[in-house]
Amino acid sequence: MAEELARTGNDTLDREKARASLDRLYTIYKDIAATADEVMQARCPYKNARSLCTAKFGCSNQFFTKDPTALPACAGSDQIDYRDAWDTEPPPE
Amino acid sequence: MAISHEGLAREFEWVTKPGEQKHIGDGIDGTDLIMQEMAYELIVGNNTDVDRLTKEALDSGYTANQILDDGLLNGMAIVGVKFRDNVIFVPEVLVAARAMKAGMAHIEPILSASGAEPAGTVIMGTVKGDLHDIGKNLCIMMLRGAGFVVHDIGVDSSPEDFIDAVEEFGAEIVGMSALLTTTMPNMGRTIATFEDMGMRDEVRIMVGGAPVTQDFADEMGADAYGDNAVEAVDKAKELMILLAELKSS
Repeated sequence: MAEELARTGNDTLDREKARASLDRLYTIYKDIAATADEVMQARCPYKNARSLCTAKFGCSNQFFTKDPTALPACAGSDQIDYRDAWDTEPPPE
Repeated sequence: MAISHEGLAREFEWVTKPGEQKHIGDGIDGTDLIMQEMAYELIVGNNTDVDRLTKEALDSGYTANQILDDGLLNGMAIVGVKFRDNVIFVPEVLVAARAMKAGMAHIEPILSASGAEPAGTVIMGTVKGDLHDIGKNLCIMMLRGAGFVVHDIGVDSSPEDFIDAVEEFGAEIVGMSALLTTTMPNMGRTIATFEDMGMRDEVRIMVGGAPVTQDFADEMGADAYGDNAVEAVDKAKELMILLAELKSS
């Protein structure tokens, strides 16, 4: 009981330090958002580091393998606007 | 400086700028193995392990401050560097952010108990007919980083989905995303549904997405429009101030 109180009580949290930590986290996220805005101009944001597609929608750049559980490869070149390849049909009801 | 966790040591090799090596390295140097493991699991996006390690750390007597700084933030700092240097891309970042969220789920109650209340509660979703979620997910990451509690109702969300979520979570803000011009009108339909249900005054609604503009947002009756994820946070903070002023008057 005492340990639980100690864990959740003010005396185990340095509020100023926590505030500084959360500010640092926000700064990291802001930098990430700025990088994302830049990267997404040329590279599809659904394409991961292994050039596999993580999108939940269809796209003409998707290249599927025989493994139904595997993510499709992205055949997009990052030279042509990737948005034109995205499937814009609404999902079935 | 020696990093005892092998995986974290490998990840740290991606930090090549001398200033960052010192800054991030100083943060990792001397931290306990459990913290280094937490940082590593966050970097590789293992949210279940970050969840487990955070619980273990708290149960072992580590403070929330230590977990935040030595575990979670050390990991996220390396994620930021790897993303900037094109080692990883948006999907990997979002997976790491999900792992951060898993750790923060244990830290947030401690923050709340110390009087640090959340900035507000937000429902985020992509509108009906639209399956695009990257922009929404980046906004969610930023909003959580800014102290908001965010409930993600996913893609292809109907007006009723937004309303149900507002009722369930007592949200003050609704954020709608659309990536297609064909689905943008569903933002207006969602706002109209809030009006029909007599709930329009209870929430502030903000919209965003590549084809969305300020003019469109005004036409649909939205309270705010965000051009990017950082703006989404700024607008959410402004909306919370407006709501507080409305309530007090």
